[in-house]
Amino acid sequence: MSLLRVENVDKSYGDEEVLHDVSFEMDRQDVEVIVGPSGSGKSTMLRCVNRLTEIDDGAIYLDDEEIHSIDENDLRRRVGMVFQDFNLFAHRTARGNVTLGLTEVLGLSKEEAQAKADDYLGRVGLAEQADSYPAELSGGQKQRVGIARALAMDPELILFDEPTSALDPELIGEVLEVMRDLAEGGMTMLCVTHEMGFARSAASTLTFLDEGRIVERGPPEQLFDTPEHDRTRQFLGELTDLH
Amino acid sequence: MESVFLQAGDWAFIASNGSYLLVGTIVTVLLTVTSLGLGFLAGFPAGAIEVYGSGRLEDIVSTVGVVLRGTPIVVLIFLFHFGLPIPDLGDIQWLDIQLSTFVAATLALGLRSAAYQGQVFRGAIQSIDDGQMEAARSVGMTKLQAIRRVVFPQALRRSVPGFQNEFTIVLKDTSVAFAIGLAELLTRAENLYLQPGRGTAAMEVIITISAIYFVLTFTTNRSLDRLEDVYATPGGNE
Repeated sequence: MSLLRVENVDKSYGDEEVLHDVSFEMDRQDVEVIVGPSGSGKSTMLRCVNRLTEIDDGAIYLDDEEIHSIDENDLRRRVGMVFQDFNLFAHRTARGNVTLGLTEVLGLSKEEAQAKADDYLGRVGLAEQADSYPAELSGGQKQRVGIARALAMDPELILFDEPTSALDPELIGEVLEVMRDLAEGGMTMLCVTHEMGFARSAASTLTFLDEGRIVERGPPEQLFDTPEHDRTRQFLGELTDLH
Repeated sequence: MESVFLQAGDWAFIASNGSYLLVGTIVTVLLTVTSLGLGFLAGFPAGAIEVYGSGRLEDIVSTVGVVLRGTPIVVLIFLFHFGLPIPDLGDIQWLDIQLSTFVAATLALGLRSAAYQGQVFRGAIQSIDDGQMEAARSVGMTKLQAIRRVVFPQALRRSVPGFQNEFTIVLKDTSVAFAIGLAELLTRAENLYLQPGRGTAAMEVIITISAIYFVLTFTTNRSLDRLEDVYATPGGNE
């Protein structure tokens, strides 16, 4: 049984069709990577899964339950999200960023939440920075706090929305390393990224999205080495050359 | 001819009435505190309603704000003093004020301040990046939790400079309570030099209360600067 099933999803902003008849499934522990040119609807697809954006048509199932029949706050607790711009709570320390959801949403005591936060910050290599505020952290450190914040909620699935796109090149590695560790640890991940190295080595399935449609989907080596569509070859070829 | 200004005898007269002016200063400070308090209690929710509210409530709040900001403060204070059926609440003897007059002044200054503080707070809320709300919602917090725990704490910090202005403006504008005979600092100053034979002391009295107003605004602003430093988020905002 699949953990996430997206069926015939359509989404438009006004007259602009952003997603057209998108369908795919993910099992537990899958690492699905979506690639595609900017404006192809990748981020919108992610945001539809935790209902930051609402779909126009189609259906999305989490663990066989249609997401609109789940309480939206409950859905978001079960589906974590990591943002391109980090979106760390600017007035709270790294630890405070992780504890807020734990105390407010999961109802943990302050002590329990702090212990759990420190544990997760340790896992992303930020035990030393627990008391630092976002403005005192590097981009890579911020994004690792963002990952710890999502992880600490014990989600069934984490959405990564271009988690390295706002980072200086030398800081991308530390974030990808954390993501690789997560993937190897069995976390189910749906990632939008331009990191072709990560897509090739960590993805269980790679999806190429263009103009709101899935052009091609399969094991990464298939899309990279023997793509069925010229458009896929062209896009992946360009990006791989670039990186 | 001998100069009528700044005579030693007039300064001595003021010194001998020091406690009289001190009581006026206390009334001025009290009126500032109650007006700013009312302004915050009404302005904070008003600003939030202008951002998050909708429909009738938001219409009412924003219209009342426009009216209050568009009316001269002396007119407001007359409106509340003569227009509102405020019952006789007795006197506060040692301050030599009628409580009902003090209440009218507080309402006028406080509600007008609310109209401005509301704008300060509205701007501060709107300056918080939308990503903060999205991040809070994405861990499963309700909109109310996100507003209370993520948006408001940041917006309040960003409001301090605007509130600082408001403090100064309200403190100085308490002097318009003079128009309804509330014995605050300016009223008491006038009472001094209107005494028979004391007309020559007018300039000295005015200079003295100007200095008192200045010391009050200066120390308040310095205290708020410190408050801002103490509560600033280390490393600044994103």
